[in-house]
Amino acid sequence: MTVMPRVAAPELILAGVLATGLARAGEALAAMSGHEVTIASPDVVSCTPADVIESAGGPDCVVVGVYVGITGSLTGHALLLLPPHGARHLATILLEGILDPAPSLSAPDGSLELDPLEVSALQEVGNVTISACLNELGRFFPEPVHPTIPQAIVELAGAILDAVLLDLVAESDQLLAARTTFAINGETVDGTILILPDRRSLAALAGAVASVGS
Amino acid sequence: MTVTAAGPLLVAGIGELVATADREATLVAYGLGSCIGLAAWDPRTHAAALAHFMLPAGPAGGPPAKFVEGGFEALLERFAAIGGSVRRAEFKAAGGASMLSVMVGSLDIGRRNAEAVAARLATHGLLLAATDFGGSAGRTVQLSVADGRFHVKSVARSAVL
Repeated sequence: MTVMPRVAAPELILAGVLATGLARAGEALAAMSGHEVTIASPDVVSCTPADVIESAGGPDCVVVGVYVGITGSLTGHALLLLPPHGARHLATILLEGILDPAPSLSAPDGSLELDPLEVSALQEVGNVTISACLNELGRFFPEPVHPTIPQAIVELAGAILDAVLLDLVAESDQLLAARTTFAINGETVDGTILILPDRRSLAALAGAVASVGS
Repeated sequence: MTVTAAGPLLVAGIGELVATADREATLVAYGLGSCIGLAAWDPRTHAAALAHFMLPAGPAGGPPAKFVEGGFEALLERFAAIGGSVRRAEFKAAGGASMLSVMVGSLDIGRRNAEAVAARLATHGLLLAATDFGGSAGRTVQLSVADGRFHVKSVARSAVL
């Protein structure tokens, strides 16, 4: 797996900001599910598109992705990426008492078929976690940062990421990404959250964060 | 989904291109979303090349197949350097999907990538022999150097062009 280089000061401040958001997201998910849910403090890293794809398990790895667009004071994209088993585990916990226990994942082609309720639950997980981060980032600006409605898909990690990354890398091959993991009732779900502001927003965010840090 | 091959496996990562005349080899580009995988194969010399294009055009620099503009010519140069004849070559391509319907600021890059590849070929008087463009599914493409078969695989289906 590619090792992403850590970057300095403003990104560390940003990591702290996102950690606050993710802690709140964990509390919200715990309240929704009635289970203990925590989300680890994120690593904020400067990386290339290839690094991001490798960190998600490689381009041919099938994952569940929840996309949320970023609008308002910042623009860009956000993704929650989960391995199929982890996604189903999260959805099952959130839907406990609403949905029958999930069927086996042993589909003939090895792919994952999610029930519409499971899709909805996972979109809500993405919505809660990413919106919590955007709320915290919005504190740096006079106007808020808004999430779009979420969209969940089951796809190749490379395909999801290249769709999202392409309009960010036309002018630069460097991206800023935040990654973390979920823990539910002590069991880790090895997911990834990517907050990917576009180039203009990244500059605005760096300026805002630096002014707070100085 | 990972491709396994008896001979050498050459992977064109995002924005990269690979080429070989080794008949035992397989060329692969994993996880194409909006990106395009473009293959060139010479049926006489068995020269083969595969590019994993990201965007139609942009500023110079970065990986060799980041942009169709410029990257296509790089593909032709590599192909010719290993004994491929551009005039004899079969060109096949896949990708250019639109993965996310709610994406912010979507510029329909998949469709524009597919159009850019066809246009670039046309400027050289060349045509695509087979394509699998568009839709909303990601693809992995695989070129067999031995016979020029171009496999296109997604989570739900598989086809040979």
